[in-house]
Amino acid sequence: MPVGPFGIDPAIWAPLRLVIAVLLAVGLVFNGALAQIYLERKIQAIIQDRLGPLHTGPWGLLQTFADAIKLLGKEDIRARLTDKWFFLAAPSIVFSPMLASYVVIPFAPGIVGADLNVGLLYLTTLGSMTVLGIVIAGWASNNKYSLIGGLRSAGQLISYEVPQILSLVTVVLVVGTLSMVGIAESQPGWQLNVLVLPLAFVTYFIAGLAETNRNPFDLPEAESELVAGFLTEYSGMRWAIFFLAEYGEVTVVSSIVATLWFGAWHGPFVEVFPLLGVLWFTLKTYFFVLVFMWIRATLPRLRIDQLMSLCWKILIPLTLTNLMVTAILLLVFPTTVVPVAIANWILLAFFVVALPYVQRRRLVALRERLRTAA
Amino acid sequence: MYDFIEPALFAVLTIATIASGAGVVLANRITTSALLMAFTFLNVAGMFLLLGAETVAMFQVLIYVGAITVLILYGVMFTPQSPRAYGLFFQTQKWWAAVLVVPIAIFVALVSFSFKDSATLAPKGGDLLPLATSVFRDFAFPFEVASVLLLAAMVGAIVLVKRDEE
Repeated sequence: MPVGPFGIDPAIWAPLRLVIAVLLAVGLVFNGALAQIYLERKIQAIIQDRLGPLHTGPWGLLQTFADAIKLLGKEDIRARLTDKWFFLAAPSIVFSPMLASYVVIPFAPGIVGADLNVGLLYLTTLGSMTVLGIVIAGWASNNKYSLIGGLRSAGQLISYEVPQILSLVTVVLVVGTLSMVGIAESQPGWQLNVLVLPLAFVTYFIAGLAETNRNPFDLPEAESELVAGFLTEYSGMRWAIFFLAEYGEVTVVSSIVATLWFGAWHGPFVEVFPLLGVLWFTLKTYFFVLVFMWIRATLPRLRIDQLMSLCWKILIPLTLTNLMVTAILLLVFPTTVVPVAIANWILLAFFVVALPYVQRRRLVALRERLRTAA
Repeated sequence: MYDFIEPALFAVLTIATIASGAGVVLANRITTSALLMAFTFLNVAGMFLLLGAETVAMFQVLIYVGAITVLILYGVMFTPQSPRAYGLFFQTQKWWAAVLVVPIAIFVALVSFSFKDSATLAPKGGDLLPLATSVFRDFAFPFEVASVLLLAAMVGAIVLVKRDEE
């Protein structure tokens, strides 16, 4: 009898591995969302000088569990004039691509669902599929606010996909592989990609904020102007699934950042205990999840025209320039990445210094034109 | 032991592709058609995956499901719709459609059965490098022509919808 991993017959191990992997991913998403909601409340509370959830369980830890049970117990409401099948299907269309993203995330050496050689492309592909679900949710709700939310989301996600993919391509150019495991293995020790490509990291992070509908890009669900955007007609568990998907997306984007720029599982003592990689990977990922929350508590929401001009007039030209400079420098100096790193740091400094200046000049010009028009 | 899964999946995907493709032309509402079209694209991407062309499958989903379908839905939502279900263009021309479709179906069936005994052409390992070499080296000129054409189309579209600035 052939013996596979853990002394289990391969014929049983193959389907068993699938079941374990799916259960693990679902568990990660659900528990990750619960943990992130708790963290989000606590961190917002700390930033706003409040206490946050405190009374349910020690330090309020059980508050999100109580809320989850409350959401499960709610009545499943569907307004009469909504489009039945699309309304019911939309949460799953948003949720399932996010769940499928966990297949290629490298948690530790050897702990990965599947080492696809187009792993990064697979992740961006799945990221682009959530738009469809949000647009359907907005349309099927038969509600003006939902529709506007859905349309805003479609415009926003399709626009920000461009700088996002351009930033990722820059990393792929330097690393030379699309496989997530390959990218992780290419950064041992202190040779992190963030030291080589800081600008690509910053542009990807901004685009990632927009892709996950997080502040300051949460226009599709802006509660002060659109009730709740595409979520207006949803309640109970279906509403919760949208939020599970959002927190899952945040985790996926954070883990892409951790893998591409911060060396995934690499850290002290990983060579001795490979399982320690899971810890380092989780710590790195959750650090960026915390940055997401910090940004949410700090920045105001952008207006839709500012959102579009940030993407089309600043991020896309910048990422295109970055991509071109990186490609040329890699052709000229095929053996070393030092020139690429220098160019990238210069471009980042240019971005940080020039952006407020350009914005101020534009505002001054706008006021001048308004004054002459009046 | 699990060799039957791939053909079975392929059969499921084939049936789903044909069914949703038929649904696209038979559905009464234009949004249903658009979503079924997205479903067709997804099924075709699944077939590409099973055939070993991962990159093509990814681009199929990225471009057709993530962008084209969303743009079509976008267009549909901005156009006024009558509240009743209305017969679409194709549904009023059943017989003409049948006359056109049957010969093409026979031709396709004949062609596909002629491949039965030929050698498999599945790309081995990563199909990204062969794809990149053929696009940027062997077919660089057609690729550039297509890009310029798309750029011209984009500029034209922007010029067409641009408002006059006083």
